Amino acid sequence: MLRKALDFQQSGLLIVILLLGALLTLMAGSHPDPATGRSVNNFLNSHTLVQMATDASFFAIMAVGATLVIISGGIDLSVGSVYALAGVTLALVLRRLGAAAPAAIVAVGTLVALGVGLLCGLANGLMVVLLRVHPFVITLGTMWVLRGIAFVASKAESILVPPALTAVAKAPLGLGGTLYLVPMLVMLAVTALGAIYLTRTVMGRHVFALGGNPEASRFSGLRLGRIQAGVFVISGLTAGLAALLGAGFYGSASCGDATGYELYVIASAVVGGASLSGGKGSAVNAMLGAVLIVLIRQSIRTLRFDQNYEWIVVGCAIIVAVVIDQTSARWSARRLARAAVAVRSMGA
Amino acid sequence: MKKTAAALGLLMVCCGRTEQPAPAASPPAAPGRGLKIALIAKSSTNPVFLAARTGAEAKAKELSAQGTPVEIAWLTPPQEDGQLQAQRIAQAVNEGAGAVLLSCSDAGKVTGAIDDAVARGVPVMTFDSDAAQSKRFAFYGVDDIKTGRSVLTELATQMGDKGKFAVLAGNQNAPNLRKRVDGVKEEAAKHPGMSLVGTFYHIETPQDAAAEVVRVMNAYPEIQGWAMVGVWPLFTRSLLTDLDPKKVKIVAVDALPVQLPYVEKGLAPVLLAQPVYLWGSVGVQTIYDKVVAKKEVPERIPMELVRVTRESLGSWARQLKDWGFTEVPDAYLKM
Repeated sequence: MLRKALDFQQSGLLIVILLLGALLTLMAGSHPDPATGRSVNNFLNSHTLVQMATDASFFAIMAVGATLVIISGGIDLSVGSVYALAGVTLALVLRRLGAAAPAAIVAVGTLVALGVGLLCGLANGLMVVLLRVHPFVITLGTMWVLRGIAFVASKAESILVPPALTAVAKAPLGLGGTLYLVPMLVMLAVTALGAIYLTRTVMGRHVFALGGNPEASRFSGLRLGRIQAGVFVISGLTAGLAALLGAGFYGSASCGDATGYELYVIASAVVGGASLSGGKGSAVNAMLGAVLIVLIRQSIRTLRFDQNYEWIVVGCAIIVAVVIDQTSARWSARRLARAAVAVRSMGA
Repeated sequence: MKKTAAALGLLMVCCGRTEQPAPAASPPAAPGRGLKIALIAKSSTNPVFLAARTGAEAKAKELSAQGTPVEIAWLTPPQEDGQLQAQRIAQAVNEGAGAVLLSCSDAGKVTGAIDDAVARGVPVMTFDSDAAQSKRFAFYGVDDIKTGRSVLTELATQMGDKGKFAVLAGNQNAPNLRKRVDGVKEEAAKHPGMSLVGTFYHIETPQDAAAEVVRVMNAYPEIQGWAMVGVWPLFTRSLLTDLDPKKVKIVAVDALPVQLPYVEKGLAPVLLAQPVYLWGSVGVQTIYDKVVAKKEVPERIPMELVRVTRESLGSWARQLKDWGFTEVPDAYLKM
């Protein structure tokens, strides 16, 4: 049973996360809580863990969408810019809306952020399908275009969003204090939806089929253009959702938001085992990949390493994770091949 | 999948059970017990903030010698990112920082995190770039509008009160830089002979800034002056050869050792230096006064600019050397 459990890649990632977490707990030391005077472990405390989940949530939500694109054999470099444009647009619209009922503000903000994300994703998807240009090139272009639009629209200003939106993103959910679980819960919900879509729906299987073997998919009669455009729409939607959450949580939006985040998003998917050549990946793993990256960043501070080494450590960790993943995949393939040979020889 | 969810749930449930009572513990700010200050500047690739770190660490050492250990935790992000700064504030509080000293990349983004830190009993002080709407207890820095006006006044003097000039403005989201640009424009309105070509933003690295200046000069060769509300491009030597001091004059905010040749060559006849070392030094002292010595501290602590010209180059160079800067050219120290 343990062996079966270990065969799941998310189990491997979970084990790495838990081992690293245990190591950090042992080595983190403690400090007295300013309010109560109680000794608190510097790593294993509710605030740090929820904070890490919050930090990861913005990458992870986008990573679930980006994973779909990667599984289909494409790539989406524009997610950070979609995030910025969706955030800026919702902030501008809400500013124009002025004083309104909190429910109306949240509803309008949600519609605008998701709408912008959807439109950006649709634009990416249609250009990839109709122009027959590699997604890398299209999304590289839209990465600049969309951030440029955000820059022009916002006049480079950081725009505050109404407190009603922050009240939702930072809803105490009965916990009180400064523990905010909403981003983490949204991340878990998006991950669950992504996992269900990929593993329990026909559309999800089509995405794997497209990425695994486009020619076979075409001959099978799949509408490849529709599938390809669809994954970009989902990727745009997740970026819009992350922007909504980010603008609400941090209280403002600007054209510089999420600069460089596309690399963290892609890294999360890849650390989670998604294959850049398509046909392989998982929503749960992408979320765990984001958590692992945030955990590695956290460990640099918790263990009091010089934080100037952060990029080096994160980069090395990504390479190591991918090498381990590929090595394990090769071993699994060999084991399966050996098993197949054994079955054939038994049959003979 | 069920296992994954269960393990995550277990992890999160465990979170609430990790705080152990420690009867002997007392609040961290008590005299003699130590004070950990998280220093979160805008960017660890900007040398002015490294000077602030040097000042903070020197002051911490000095205060520690008086009996209360003061520790500086450097949590500055590698690049300007208000969201990341907000995360770092929360991390600092989670890891037991007794206070936070912060220069805001984006006031809107960090206000919530500052207020959360204060709600958890951790005082926050800002320097350089403020978050005035937050619950921070003090701000130390220059008056940015006044600084912008001073830059333009000096530039107008250098240009004979006429000609075309441009503004180099750094990161468009930093509230302090935006105010300085406003100050430049307000003052320019009082100088009808001075014509503003444009305001140019850029990534706040020396190479990006220098490249932006060169790009703008190629597009607008008629520019005779640059009002730089920060000193980013002068961290490179490239403008010493790319610009002709007889045709173009620069007035910029800040004057660190690497920028002094621009003063000597006459390309930047005036630099308005922020004593950036004092960001850290005064910041740590103010936090110490409030948290450890329980003194009243003013909400706004004004920083005065230092006018650096060829005449004052020697005394400024020696001041930088005294503050621990190691790359001050000997030639200037002897002036």
